[in-house]
Amino acid sequence: MDFAPVRGSRRPTPAAKRTLIPLKILVAGGFGVGKTTFVGSLSEIPPLSTEQEMTSLSVGVDDSAAVPDKTTTTVAMDFGRITVDDQLILYLFGAPGQNRFWFMWDELARGAVGAVVLVDMRRADDCFAAIDYFEDRRLPFAVAVNQFPGGPAYPEDAVREALALPPDCPLVRMDAREIRSSLDTLVILVEHALARSAHAGAH
Amino acid sequence: MTDDDYGWRQGDRLVPAYAFTQGRTRTEGQELPLEALVTATELAVQNLPTLQVERGAIVRMSMRPTSVVEIGAALHVPAGVARVLVSDLASAGFLAVHLPQTTDGVGGPGQEILGRLLDGLRAR
Repeated sequence: MDFAPVRGSRRPTPAAKRTLIPLKILVAGGFGVGKTTFVGSLSEIPPLSTEQEMTSLSVGVDDSAAVPDKTTTTVAMDFGRITVDDQLILYLFGAPGQNRFWFMWDELARGAVGAVVLVDMRRADDCFAAIDYFEDRRLPFAVAVNQFPGGPAYPEDAVREALALPPDCPLVRMDAREIRSSLDTLVILVEHALARSAHAGAH
Repeated sequence: MTDDDYGWRQGDRLVPAYAFTQGRTRTEGQELPLEALVTATELAVQNLPTLQVERGAIVRMSMRPTSVVEIGAALHVPAGVARVLVSDLASAGFLAVHLPQTTDGVGGPGQEILGRLLDGLRAR
């Protein structure tokens, strides 16, 4: 520690005494599918971006010893915040969808309420990796087909079949630019997570 | 919210990010989740004038509940650096840390919290 000795009260401030509970929901999907738009439509703070280190594990070779000033590579990730009530604060993380970012997802998925998988049906393949990931980890997720203007409206059955969705997985058609539409999507995900949790508790 | 709320602007960084943390990007023991919330303690408020600029900025941000990820973004440092700074301040008694409450440390929140989240989202 590099702090000088300090005097004073260790009593918490009023904010520190409050019971505060952070929550998180992941927003996954392929590049350009609308993750940033979705997070931005819901966030009470201007959408921000954080840099997350890519670990030596994920880049394959640890050459940090040879290059002491450049220990890690970083990748940007969007996030937003919703103050739910006086105790609960929900964070939304827009997670990059490519396989090489899985190392970030393991940390992000830990303790998460669930995930919204955003899909552009013109590039449906982009979301398969995310769907497989959440199924494997048994993280509750909802699939949200982001309707792009002028795009075709695919029938629900066709979408479910094309994406090989589990029967209980919620599927919504939405517009990530509209706060109401994005909020409804979150509500549907949380209803699903609660139902799963209640079901698990009953057995 | 602007960068000015924390008393500095983008580009104001005085030393390289990793110098704040003596080159560490990992904390000892359990890593703080990105969404972990912190709040300034009275001790921090009393000692604010003595704190190094980055640490003072974190304490000022934490006058209202703020997460590790928000601190990293505001200071323009990677999340791992924010984690180390926050952990050090918490160890010194300057920040209270509010961790996620999950059912078993790995799974999601319990039903009571999920129910409150649902109510809160529906009310918006």
